[in-house]
Amino acid sequence: MLRSCTAALRTLRALRGRREGASPAARDPVLARVSPGRGAAEVDRGVGLSVRNNPVIWRWFSTEKVIPKDHALPNPSWSKDLRLLFDQFMKKCEDGSWERLPSYKNSKLVKEQLSQAQLFTRGYEDGLGFEYVIFYNDDEKRTVCLFQGGPYLQGVPGFLHGGAIATMIDATVGMCAAIPGGIVMTANLNINFKRPIPLCSVVVINSQLDKIEGRKLFLSCNVRSVDEKILYSEATGLFIKLDPEKSLT
Amino acid sequence: MIRRGFQVAARLGHHGALPGGPYILPRFSPASAFGSSMDSLVSRFCQEKTDLKNYTLPNASWCPDMLNLYHEFLEKTKADGWIRLPSFKSNRNHIQGLKLPLALTVTSDKSDCRIFTRCIETEGQGYEYVIFFHPSKKKSVCLFQPGPDLEGTPRFAHRGSLAAMIDETFSKTAYLAGEGLFTLNLNITFKNLIRVGSLALLNVDVEKIEDQKLYISCVAQSADQQTVYTKASGTFLQLQLEEDSSQY
Repeated sequence: MLRSCTAALRTLRALRGRREGASPAARDPVLARVSPGRGAAEVDRGVGLSVRNNPVIWRWFSTEKVIPKDHALPNPSWSKDLRLLFDQFMKKCEDGSWERLPSYKNSKLVKEQLSQAQLFTRGYEDGLGFEYVIFYNDDEKRTVCLFQGGPYLQGVPGFLHGGAIATMIDATVGMCAAIPGGIVMTANLNINFKRPIPLCSVVVINSQLDKIEGRKLFLSCNVRSVDEKILYSEATGLFIKLDPEKSLT
Repeated sequence: MIRRGFQVAARLGHHGALPGGPYILPRFSPASAFGSSMDSLVSRFCQEKTDLKNYTLPNASWCPDMLNLYHEFLEKTKADGWIRLPSFKSNRNHIQGLKLPLALTVTSDKSDCRIFTRCIETEGQGYEYVIFFHPSKKKSVCLFQPGPDLEGTPRFAHRGSLAAMIDETFSKTAYLAGEGLFTLNLNITFKNLIRVGSLALLNVDVEKIEDQKLYISCVAQSADQQTVYTKASGTFLQLQLEEDSSQY
């Protein structure tokens, strides 16, 4: 989660840069990420040394060829429920109280910059696995994840696998912890399953920060149906702020 | 095997409808609890003579630790009472001839569904695992090697993938040990990350069974047992599947 939270923070700063009227490069989360020298192998196709050593031109080249796909945007596999919810939350983003988190699949170019969930949860064809988007509210210290689980996430025939739900809870709660906490690691996740979630349905995962004690962050989370009438799961999470100098193991 | 949990709204029967309509869960019948019933559960589950692809056979992606432990446990299946559990693409394949109680069937069940832990086809890319179960001791061992598609923090397995592996091992163990069908609770404490491509050994024990609930625990550690990756506990609701005479 070390690098993942660094990535989350970079995303945050990039988005804030956009809000505060920063330069175009800073405003675009993709442009803000790419730096000279990175991904040279990826775009080194007859690009001369002088180009690679020139930061401005290199940045232009890199973004022209290898803009990663943002998976946290609607695609044809998204159900009507998911699209409607997405639109509702995008409206909430207009006044700046909410922000949508972009979500990129792993690639050599952006390998060091990704949030933790991205490779594991973005490695499926559209609609087969995890379709989700996370919004966060900095003032209220909470995140909301709109999640549609596809047919490759099955547990009980016809229902979502408990591990798939645990993954999304971890992603949502983790993002909620990283925003105030910086570099954090999950210490504990405790999930109570109330009802099985039918495959291919849409659920809303709400997470909030309850309290901070020293390096410990206490969070809670619930998973509900779109109309909020069905409570599928409740969870609590304990995250620990890490010392960036320490190794992961 | 069946791991979606829901609360003992079973007892009350009217906490709002499950998708598919209102329901009342069938009561679990203690008369068909363990003993000979476990043998029939196991034999029905482990249908080795089948055309279905069994994902628990070694392949070229398995690291030396995984191969060594696999062969060690395979030896134990000959005399020590251990059973190697087969693993198919969908849980449907494990329950042929059986079905969920009527109130729990849903229209979203499609034939192209895959169990989460077998969704990545390419050898070595996703979940490589095999579970050995010991009926009389009510315990399991899972040999788990996470592939690069399960990466979270670079070079390490995503915590969600480990949670899924624990839940999956719990589910199979709970089902065979006492018809535990639905996860009610999962509590996981993460201690260290698992490197992609290395082996994690999951030791799972059924702690107790009472009041229609099955309590189960797990310690996941490195092959040399020097590093503990996680400690976890789970609770499962006991529920019997029904006989199904129709074909899937």
